[in-house]
Amino acid sequence: MAASTTSQVYIQVIDDVMNKVRDEFVNNGGPGDEVLKELQSIWESKMMQAGAIVGPIERSGAPKPTPGGPITPVHDLNMPYEGTEEYETPTAEMLFPPTPLQTPLQTPLPGTVDNSMYNIPTGPSDYPSAGNEPGANNEIKGGRPGPYMQPPPSPWTNQNQNQNQRAPLDVNVAYVEGRDEAERGASNQPLTQDFFMSSGKRKRDEIASQYNAGGYIPQQDGAGDAASQILEIEVYGGGMSIDAGHSTSKGKMPAQSDRPASQIPQLDGPIPYDDDVLSTPNIYNYGVFNEDYNIANTPAPSEVPASTPAPIAQNEVDEEDDDDEPPLNENDDDDLDDLDQGEDQNTHHLVLAQFDKVTRTKSRWKCTLKDGIMHINNKDILFNKATGEFDF
Amino acid sequence: MATFELYRRSTIGMCLTETLDEMVQNGTLSPELAIQVLVQFDKSMTEALETQVKSKVSIKGHLHTYRFCDNVWTFILQDALFKNEDSQENVGRVKIVACDSKLLTQ
Repeated sequence: MAASTTSQVYIQVIDDVMNKVRDEFVNNGGPGDEVLKELQSIWESKMMQAGAIVGPIERSGAPKPTPGGPITPVHDLNMPYEGTEEYETPTAEMLFPPTPLQTPLQTPLPGTVDNSMYNIPTGPSDYPSAGNEPGANNEIKGGRPGPYMQPPPSPWTNQNQNQNQRAPLDVNVAYVEGRDEAERGASNQPLTQDFFMSSGKRKRDEIASQYNAGGYIPQQDGAGDAASQILEIEVYGGGMSIDAGHSTSKGKMPAQSDRPASQIPQLDGPIPYDDDVLSTPNIYNYGVFNEDYNIANTPAPSEVPASTPAPIAQNEVDEEDDDDEPPLNENDDDDLDDLDQGEDQNTHHLVLAQFDKVTRTKSRWKCTLKDGIMHINNKDILFNKATGEFDF
Repeated sequence: MATFELYRRSTIGMCLTETLDEMVQNGTLSPELAIQVLVQFDKSMTEALETQVKSKVSIKGHLHTYRFCDNVWTFILQDALFKNEDSQENVGRVKIVACDSKLLTQ
């Protein structure tokens, strides 16, 4: 039986049930016709989700317009449209609205300095930690940025200042709105995220030949970045803290320039050999490790950074006492019934029907079924008669 | 008219049962009215299968388990082949639950 025919039978069954129980819903203090319509809509939506009803529901008893009713005007789509509206010719201002000015400097937010016990300082910061100074207002408000978040004036923003008197807007900062005060206080992550995007692609032919492959290439287009940012991510105890250290030096930075001299001894995990450092990925060390991906052909570090020791959990429970008691089903030799095992392994293939006759000759079974529903391979098949022959 | 509660385990019956459960738990429907809807579904489904469905199916396979209890046959087939007018389907494991049709005519 085709799926469309099965869908039609199902729709007729739904309609028949709704018509037969309507009296119980409407009369005798029932919940009303709205509840009945809700029941029907939820039932049909579940059937569509299950795939039992395919496509839009088409009912033969659709409401037809009454002969004496109002006639809706019919527009001939083959006729040319005679509109009286006049449309304005689009101009450059309409097609390309002015965009906010880009600012080259990243503006920090108060409260972004992380005072975690595992953070290693990466150098001096050019920005004062306004949220941590004594006497500072540590209350952080969600929503629009305050006046302290506006960037300082720069020579890039003064070019178009007389043309367009818009307030400068930092488009590199995504403001996180709608966070609760309690959640904001417990979070280790800053309230802003910087998205550095390259302003365009440049062909290799346009670069001057006097620059070496590993040398510094000056910026040729786009807004200049006055500060490069080093992100250090540490993983400890399932959490993650991000320490943002700002540095104003441009150009090539060595990978280990900011690492402290004292190293923390490694306490856990295997220590890779020196020759494995260059060939295998560093999957054992979870410590802070900086590598500048903006510089071509960055050499691998000569020494492997030490991993950060994991904090010791104070509430560890000694589970060795559980092994003293023997399991409760140690002497249980009863196997499961074969049919019960089959029902546990039962897939979603099911046949529901009525039987007329079931016979057995030696190990050969024959049965005749009628008025059944088969759910096989995620399809519903309805049948009027079925014959079965099974070998036991 | 006597009916079977057999078809409540089908796809359309399970969808109706889930819908009624949700509405009873929400308080929009009383349990007595939900039972009346299920009883009416049993009647409508039996009548629709008798009057509107005309297809024939043949089933072949290895009988793994059989059970006859309370006038209900339960077969579990392995490597079953279902053939009807349109197509045929192969199934590794299928359960057949069949009630006695003579009980409806009494």
